[in-house]
Amino acid sequence: MALLEIRNLRKRYGTVEALQGLSLDVERGEFFGLLGPNGAGKSTTINILLGLIIADSGSIRIFDHDFASNHVAIRRRMNVAAAFTSMNGVLTVWENLMVYGRIYGVKQLPRKIDELLERFEITDLAKRRLQHLSSGQHTRVTLCKGFLNDPELLLLDECTLGLDPDIAEKTRRALQAVQQERKTTILFTSHNMNEVEELCGRIAFLSQGEILRVDTAAHIKRLIPHQVVEVAFQAGSDLTLIRQLPGISRIERNGEHALRFVLDDPTHQLDPLLRHLTQSGNPIVDIHVSRPTLEDVFIKVARGEL
Amino acid sequence: MRFVNSQDYGFSTMAIWGLVYKFTCLCYRSLDRIFDIVYWPVISLLLWGFTSMFIASTSSFAGVMEFFLGGAVLWSLFWRAQTDVGTFILEDFWSRNVYNLFASPVTSIELFAAIGLIGLIRCILSFLFLTFLAWGLYAFNIMDIGGTAIAAFTSVLLLFGWVIGILIAALIFRYGLRIQILAWSVGFIIQPFSCVFYPLDSMPGWVQGIAITLPSTHVFEGLRYAIATGELAWQPLLLSFGLTAVLFILSIAYFQYALYQAKKLGLLTRFEMA
Repeated sequence: MALLEIRNLRKRYGTVEALQGLSLDVERGEFFGLLGPNGAGKSTTINILLGLIIADSGSIRIFDHDFASNHVAIRRRMNVAAAFTSMNGVLTVWENLMVYGRIYGVKQLPRKIDELLERFEITDLAKRRLQHLSSGQHTRVTLCKGFLNDPELLLLDECTLGLDPDIAEKTRRALQAVQQERKTTILFTSHNMNEVEELCGRIAFLSQGEILRVDTAAHIKRLIPHQVVEVAFQAGSDLTLIRQLPGISRIERNGEHALRFVLDDPTHQLDPLLRHLTQSGNPIVDIHVSRPTLEDVFIKVARGEL
Repeated sequence: MRFVNSQDYGFSTMAIWGLVYKFTCLCYRSLDRIFDIVYWPVISLLLWGFTSMFIASTSSFAGVMEFFLGGAVLWSLFWRAQTDVGTFILEDFWSRNVYNLFASPVTSIELFAAIGLIGLIRCILSFLFLTFLAWGLYAFNIMDIGGTAIAAFTSVLLLFGWVIGILIAALIFRYGLRIQILAWSVGFIIQPFSCVFYPLDSMPGWVQGIAITLPSTHVFEGLRYAIATGELAWQPLLLSFGLTAVLFILSIAYFQYALYQAKKLGLLTRFEMA
């Protein structure tokens, strides 16, 4: 049985339909990504799961309990870390974590706070007021809050926003370590596609309040079937013969002696193309094959091309 | 999710303690929160103290000092209780903490229990400070009316202050920070109708009609009666206590409704972005 079951969730704001019957299952221990352009419904989904927004219709079951009638008990077993939120600025990091630790009923709280501060490498910030921290430091405090109660379900909304690449990498490692140690189920949203691909086992791709596809990153990237092959030759090439090859949707000149091929079915077209080019008598000096990235899929979804 | 849900009325003492700890930290870390325990009450005491000294020196109105100073000290309790609810709720809006707070398992009962506890401590501090100041400056001791009377008057005013504070908090959740001024200004609207410094029957008939519905009016009428006769008028006081208790329950219900509406309209997350 899935840890999180969302069925036919609908939410409308005036004339805008933010969620149009969204259904989703997330299994226990999964690191699950929610992807989609702005306005796709990611934040609305997360906010409904937190009880901050009430859906118009649909049902949510978390830990095999109906969320609507058990939301207080369920929220004790989950948590959230969202980059754009804050805690009390005039309180120190330690004080803020003490407040939330008590609200979540955390036992041996001081020891727990010490452990998390150390894991996210911000022990030295414990006595600093939150309002005096940089955005990267603030983000790591938010993550500490998210893990305070050892949540069974953790919602991470853009939680690595504002981190420099080094700290972002360390944070991803820490997230993976904690998730694997505790088998925490994580629902993760980010606009950093590499991060989503690296962390998430499965991804739900949302667009206009609907799920386009739930799959692994590798499978989602196949939503864009074509590959791009860029070939540089020693001399200029005659395109007439190449154009006769089947399945090449586009050929473009890419500089004086280079060509760019867009293959619709690379599995079957790459080999014939390369054979043809190597036999053409014009030596190849460089070749580059680009596979579609998650970002390519994202851009196509955002532009309504998928 | 329904508007009335039994789990919203449960509470955890650890969560209440967590929130009390937060409000305590906010009080000692913020000069504003320390300052407002004494600043306005002292201004009010000085103003009415000197006014009553002047009236006493130019007329034969017996007990003017007691009437005015008693009113000023007790009014400060209502004002403190009412503004504390609004201010402590607003602190979470100002610091963009609404998202994290309401995503946590905290219930409205826990929130108001914590605000009530910290508010009670602040009210007691403010009351004791004013009592000593009134005694030192004007030789007026409000405790002369007796411990029972003080307990009765203060409990009605505290509860009524919380009622108004909770209603303002509900409106802030429904309409956002653009109406935050209500947290400080509503007390000034209620004051003229509460007969703090003058008797009910001295006011025009239509104003009396409004005044009689306010629990605070019966407290200040009772205070003047106690000062004049040394006795406590129990009947109107018990009625006003009952009325305040009913209003308190209604204010909690209205807060729950406003919170439900804010969640239906997706306002809680928009406050965070603001």
